[in-house]
Amino acid sequence: MDVSFLIAILVWGLYAGCIYILLAIGLNLIFGVMKVVNFAHGELLMLGAYTTFWLYILSGFNPYLVLPLAMLLMAMLGLFIERLGFRPIMGTGKLNEIFLSLGLIYLFQNLAAFLWSTSSRSIRSPYSERIVPLGSIKLPMDYLIIIIITTLFLVALQLFLKKTTVGRAMRATSQNREAAALMGINVERMDMLSFALGSVLATAAGSLWVISGQMADPYMGSIPAIKAFAVIIIGGLGSIPGAILAGLTLGIAENMVPSLMKFLAGIIGFNMSFTAWKDTIAFFILIIILVIRPTGIFGEKGE
Amino acid sequence: MRLEWMNLKNTLKRDMIRSKTALAVCSGILAVLLPLVLGINYYLMTVLIIMLVFIIYSSAWNFLALSGQGSLGHAAFFGLGGYASAILARSLELPPLATILLGGIFAACIGVLIGLTCVRLREWFLAMVTFGFAVITHTITAELSWLTGGWDGIPAKKLVPVTIPNYIVYEYYILLFIAGAVILTLYLITRSRVGLALEAIRENELEAKVMGINVTRYKLTAFAVSAFLTGIAGALEIHHFGYITPEVYGIDISFWPIIYCISGGLFTLEGPILGTVIITILSEGLKSFGWTYERLILIGVILILVVIFLPKGFVSIPNKLKSRLKSHA
Repeated sequence: MDVSFLIAILVWGLYAGCIYILLAIGLNLIFGVMKVVNFAHGELLMLGAYTTFWLYILSGFNPYLVLPLAMLLMAMLGLFIERLGFRPIMGTGKLNEIFLSLGLIYLFQNLAAFLWSTSSRSIRSPYSERIVPLGSIKLPMDYLIIIIITTLFLVALQLFLKKTTVGRAMRATSQNREAAALMGINVERMDMLSFALGSVLATAAGSLWVISGQMADPYMGSIPAIKAFAVIIIGGLGSIPGAILAGLTLGIAENMVPSLMKFLAGIIGFNMSFTAWKDTIAFFILIIILVIRPTGIFGEKGE
Repeated sequence: MRLEWMNLKNTLKRDMIRSKTALAVCSGILAVLLPLVLGINYYLMTVLIIMLVFIIYSSAWNFLALSGQGSLGHAAFFGLGGYASAILARSLELPPLATILLGGIFAACIGVLIGLTCVRLREWFLAMVTFGFAVITHTITAELSWLTGGWDGIPAKKLVPVTIPNYIVYEYYILLFIAGAVILTLYLITRSRVGLALEAIRENELEAKVMGINVTRYKLTAFAVSAFLTGIAGALEIHHFGYITPEVYGIDISFWPIIYCISGGLFTLEGPILGTVIITILSEGLKSFGWTYERLILIGVILILVVIFLPKGFVSIPNKLKSRLKSHA
């Protein structure tokens, strides 16, 4: 294993990590404010990717430019899901939230399959041929754009949460719902806002993923979403810096571990491929962490 | 006056129990007579057999949920039971009816192992771990190709040899018998101290602990029983189809029992049965119209509506209608 190969894996991980971070932060916002787990978050990613795909096909614009419009559309869907789905069952038990998400998963996956068939779609990025030389490694331009866009989103979100009145109200709601309501904050509006924001971030994650060369199909959402759950459990419920750290770690670990295993197996004299294990790494990390600390690394802070 | 009221209440209660027993007996007789009524139609018999498999599977899932643990990865136990049974039947030359039991035991052992992690977890952490576990078993099975045949899977012995005329009818009756036994067992367990303890744990774990219930042991028991029955259901299904591939670990295999239980009625004995029957009939009926995705969309919508408007499932419809009639009278 030489150094440039390691750096290439690191960049791959950074790029995959960005997608997980965008998803995980949306989940974290929703969980922080509503104490609800949206297992159907991956379906928002899928619908977001399809929205961008269709806007791109129909308009012919640069896919990065239609992204904001897709995010706006998906924010509205997020509002609807909160208002019609999750609000009626708030406070009726955590199992019900899981079950409602299951219903949403079935609804959205099959609606997408029904409307747009199960064949995979892709968006051809205008920069797909460009490569940025970064020292000894060659970085695809799209990866660089995605890393920059993600950073911008994170900074904007942080500013929104820390500096604006609405953002402060959201943080207050997630710290103590009753007290926030007593202080005159419309907590139900905060619920809707958190869902809309989560939906927007999931759309960004899905669209950027598809623009950078991944295929979009109706079932694309489940695995990334479930990894995003692993990320927020690893990084701590409701903690945004934790989610960023854990998302990057997972992205890098996923790309690093199979190569490392292959390398180690090679030393013993086996020639094996471990790429099939890539998707399971998140769950191994998750199970190990929960065996050691059943409440996650940062404890029950969000509960 | 008070005594009269009590008497009335008791008679009502007795009537209800009586009518429930009568209903159970009637549906049992109907299930036994069904092949005679329908004639030997392979398609219909297959649908009924799969329905029975899923009645066992959903009841097993429901039993775990009874202790407040909602698993999102029961396909792992379904598949482990199936693979263990298929491999044992092939390598030890045992009849499938014996290896099915071994498959269940294997699934139960793994269930206890994963349960050791899960008993300490909160609802959605548990959901995540079980889901992840199903993904991991999927990968392990596909990678261990010398044992499991990899992605292509392996053949499994038929439950009843195909050479016997009308073998599918025998299969149906074997499954009906096993499903009946499973439901009776679950009925007896839920009525015993174990069932009460599990319910107490679900309602309030801390209070249950204070009352002297060994929470960990009961939760693990629930895991073992549920995984055992799920393993049996999985083994039955693959011995019916005659082959097994890693697709048996698919996400939808984990989700179907949940859909059946919620729509039928969570935490009740008859809920999973009713849910499986109604949703299967609906699903198969719509399939015969050529609806593939539409039926799944519809099932998703039904699930959402049931969670919001009918949290106790289809089984609560008669009571709801009764109370509505009463309030109008």
